[in-house]
Amino acid sequence: MIRKLTDAFGAESARQYLPFATLVVLVLSVGIAQPTFLEPATLLQLASDTAVLFILATGVTFVIMLGGIDLSLQSMASLATVVVAITTTRLGYGSFVLALAIGAVAGLLAGLVHVRLRIPSFIATLAIGGVLFSTALVLSQERAITMFETERGYQTWITGSLFGIPNLVLIGLVVLVSAHILQSHTAFGRYSAAIGAGEPAAYASGVKVDRQKVIAHVLSAFFAALAGVILAGRMSGGSPTLAEGLLLLSIAAVVVGGTAITGGVGSIWRTLVGALIISVVRIGMTFLGVNIFAQNIVFGAVLIIAVTITIDRSKIPIVK
Amino acid sequence: MTIHTDADAIRPAAATPQKPAIRRWRLASWAPVLVLVLVCAVIAVINPNFLTFGNFVRISQAVMIPLVLGLGATFIVLMGSVDLSLEGVLTLSAVILSMLVLNGANANDLGLLAIPIVILVGAGVGFVNGIIHVRFQVPSFMVTLGTWFIGVGIANAILGGTATRINDQFIRAFAIVRDPVVGLPWGVWVAIVCFLIALVIQNYTRLGRHIYALGGGEELAALSGIPAARVRILAFTIAGVFYAVGGILAAAQLGNGYSQIGVGRLFTTLTGVVVGGTALSGGQGGVQQTLVGVLIVVVLSNGMVLMGIAPSIQIGVNGLMIIAAVALSIDKKMMRIVK
Amino acid sequence: MNVRRTLALQLIDVEKRFPGVHALKNVSIDIMPSEVVGLIGENGAGKSTLMKILSGVYKPDSGEIRLGGKPTCFESAADANRHGIGMVFQEQSLLTNISVGENIYLGNEAQFTRLGMVNWKALYAAAARQLATVQVEVDPRTRTSDLDLATRQMVELAKALALEESAEAHLVILLDEPTSVLERAEIEILFARVRALKSRASFIFVSHRLDEVLELSDRIYIMKDGAVVADLPVAEANVTRLHQLMVGRSLQSEYYRESLQKPYRDEVVIEAEDLSLGHAYRGVSFKLHAGEILGIAGVIGAGREELTRTLVGFAPHETGSLRIGGRDCRLRTPAEAVDCGVGYIPRDRRVEGLVLFLSVAANITLANLGMLTRHGLIDRRQEQAIATTWVERLKVKTPSINTLCLNLSGGNQQKVVLAKWLNAESRVLILDHPTRGLDVGAKEEVYELIRAVTAEGVAVILTSDTLEETIGLSHTLLVMRDGTVTYRTDGRPGHKPTQVELIEHMV
Repeated sequence: MIRKLTDAFGAESARQYLPFATLVVLVLSVGIAQPTFLEPATLLQLASDTAVLFILATGVTFVIMLGGIDLSLQSMASLATVVVAITTTRLGYGSFVLALAIGAVAGLLAGLVHVRLRIPSFIATLAIGGVLFSTALVLSQERAITMFETERGYQTWITGSLFGIPNLVLIGLVVLVSAHILQSHTAFGRYSAAIGAGEPAAYASGVKVDRQKVIAHVLSAFFAALAGVILAGRMSGGSPTLAEGLLLLSIAAVVVGGTAITGGVGSIWRTLVGALIISVVRIGMTFLGVNIFAQNIVFGAVLIIAVTITIDRSKIPIVK
Repeated sequence: MTIHTDADAIRPAAATPQKPAIRRWRLASWAPVLVLVLVCAVIAVINPNFLTFGNFVRISQAVMIPLVLGLGATFIVLMGSVDLSLEGVLTLSAVILSMLVLNGANANDLGLLAIPIVILVGAGVGFVNGIIHVRFQVPSFMVTLGTWFIGVGIANAILGGTATRINDQFIRAFAIVRDPVVGLPWGVWVAIVCFLIALVIQNYTRLGRHIYALGGGEELAALSGIPAARVRILAFTIAGVFYAVGGILAAAQLGNGYSQIGVGRLFTTLTGVVVGGTALSGGQGGVQQTLVGVLIVVVLSNGMVLMGIAPSIQIGVNGLMIIAAVALSIDKKMMRIVK
Repeated sequence: MNVRRTLALQLIDVEKRFPGVHALKNVSIDIMPSEVVGLIGENGAGKSTLMKILSGVYKPDSGEIRLGGKPTCFESAADANRHGIGMVFQEQSLLTNISVGENIYLGNEAQFTRLGMVNWKALYAAAARQLATVQVEVDPRTRTSDLDLATRQMVELAKALALEESAEAHLVILLDEPTSVLERAEIEILFARVRALKSRASFIFVSHRLDEVLELSDRIYIMKDGAVVADLPVAEANVTRLHQLMVGRSLQSEYYRESLQKPYRDEVVIEAEDLSLGHAYRGVSFKLHAGEILGIAGVIGAGREELTRTLVGFAPHETGSLRIGGRDCRLRTPAEAVDCGVGYIPRDRRVEGLVLFLSVAANITLANLGMLTRHGLIDRRQEQAIATTWVERLKVKTPSINTLCLNLSGGNQQKVVLAKWLNAESRVLILDHPTRGLDVGAKEEVYELIRAVTAEGVAVILTSDTLEETIGLSHTLLVMRDGTVTYRTDGRPGHKPTQVELIEHMV
């Protein structure tokens, strides 16, 4: 029944805009109930609040496109916050480079474990995530770390703004553009889509599947680390659990945007829309004064409804 | 549509006796058991306290909840789907139970009557999962993610921000009182009974076989007249029942209904399912494999405590152990495509 | 005096339309009890739509279906089963992760179920009985994935026949291209079983192999463009007449385009010396020249498939040497094979040949994306240009180069696979059952393309469905048996070996 309704939207090109339409409808709904929501300042704030989620979701999109999953995201991001919080005094801007490097290495490890040991990415990334979490616990000695004046000085590229636009939004845009190019305009992106949609054929066509998978995992962990760096800047501190809850929200963002969880079909634009939808719902609820205890309920319900509408069923033969 | 793997290219002629082929398949599914034995042996060598009865009881207490949860999750994974709602259902069940029996927050004292009510709630959530998944064609991942949030949300709303202490002695007995014969807490026996029920469902009912069929090839199964929609909805409902039982046991064990009671259990459970050998793609594995997998996970944790590994490192070491366990058990020749 | 027997199955003026396609036009078919009716026609003629209506998957827009004289309507495939209509599918319809017995009674376990519990002993006993009917010696408890394809096909037949236990009317079994995965010996067994079972059932035999249809059927229906154009008793039919009725033009006197078979060049592209891989094959040696088609014949288990897999990089050889283009190669992955200039046209094109959910253009460029990337970015315009060129050269019928390959017909999908390798400038093509599942017209197009590429110097190794095709196409023929090459012969036009000559060395 729902299939027929969404099929009625006709051509595939029209269906592509469903996620975006959903976003617009949501924004307007909140805006009608609470007009202050639609003010530029609020919307910009919304955008910058979404940045961390978006960057995380962008990273995992690369892995999902190939048909895998990355469950180490939030541990990686949290570890990055700890690394930044601890090393900024000694390394200055180098702390960011260190955090990103750790991300790349973690992704490399996860990717290698996945392809060399033939372990499903679910397990490989879950396990690596555990290792990262333990590392964060040990490094931080199981407590939250606050960054003070001198350290915060290094965070201004995150917390400041340029011509009135928060840097977070600009950073998000840079990530958007570079990730989009990677996904849609490079051989890597094409190979990822092929592997996700038809791995046997990609393999038989000479695509170096293992290499692509490792690259995707490196990218995912790298972006997770970047998200952590940003998060540390915003929160002026780091802790092993700072990114708690963001794992499932990131994956939800990818799927709500219309990318199939099995891969092959999707894009970074979709992830952006998905992340915004999630953000709008969460922030919108606060705006509308939804009872805090009811927020989870509303969120869950909206999630289901949003996916029901946005999923491109023409590209998914059987819904599992 | 079946993907013909390399195994198909090297076909035995029809005249070859079938026995060797059966033996090969059976060997692969025994690998997790060997891993379990190996792990136990290693731990026992390092710390002989592992082999004491007291430790055995500790392990069985640690296994009972993940096992029950894993039973429900196995049915879902066998179909090729995923169920993220187990933490939500468990939390909701634990909280409702804590509010219905003799407790420190209100005047209810429903005693045993609370149990069927809670089970119904679990079944209800499972049913909702199934209905939305089937009628609205929403991938199981998203539906169950949504119901996870909703379940935890309702539990939070009921609790209003506090925890509820359970004072009903019978319920608490599940976790504390041991049976007079073997010496295991009654809760463990509940888990064993659940396991046997799940085993019967899996191997002796049409529903169980149809779940395998859906996992093996949904389009083909539907063509043979298997009512895919009905099977899915039933499977999710049954899973919900198991999660509710898990919630009851958790509330009994911890003596409280509180909103964090479910945290972390999803991944432990799913890890147990996968480590045991049930493929996330569906169609392979079963509850007996989940039993082994959950044991491996729990024994590893127990072992690390016995070996004196600091708690903060345990999680990381756990992860590495899991990788090792899966690497050893996976029949690599059969899985050309690993996702 | 003519005694009219009640027809087992009758279709009267059945119509079916899909958006943009008039699939069935006033189709009427009579099936008598205990008869084998052949059904032939090109792809797109309406055969599969007809089969789907008969098996309950589709409902006719108008017209009537009568079973045993009574008008009937099928709500679903399972409903059709209950009325005694069974189907043996072309692509395997058995679930590989369950046992043989379970497959036979899939969806029909109710008869063995009491109080919700399945009586396995009874089910397996019944399954054993059904297997005995088709003379297959397999323990019904065996996991289906452990059986080879030919045995599975017979289990499918047993499954269709098992309907007899639950249906009242005479059975009608639809055989949809059942022989495409079988070797000659197995086909003989299948036909013998069908003939023996005629007392219990009528059969509708759909196939592209006209000689087999003539061999097995009592009567033949020919469909073209959605309508039944003729209905012949087998005595009045022959391949030429059938072909003409199906296609509307006469069978080309040279089906395999032998006149286009030019001599091959001197340049040696592949030199294999003493290749061995475990028990699969041993001591295989051959030289492949540019422009040559090397056909390899052999039954299942002879080593053909494993040798093919080695050449495309799925299973490297253990001993011996393999030189491609003068370079020593040990192909551990298909990527290495592609780097050496090998292209693989697989038998399972929908799984290993094409990424169905990607566009025609994306699939064509997949094996040679490096050519399109400048500074790491894909040049979209060049991609479109290249794809358009290939689509034109190979005459691929597609609404656009951005259409998903999912939506193309089998023959056109095969052309896209070929285009991919031509675009990658492969110098060797390994063709693995290249015309499987294609109708006569599409096969002829493939043969012409094969002749065209070999004329340009591409070398081909061919493993095929039928000996006739292998002989007709190849310059040189190798016969394998039990892992070794037992015979080598020349296949020049005018000097082609006979099938008998080859079979002698195959078994």
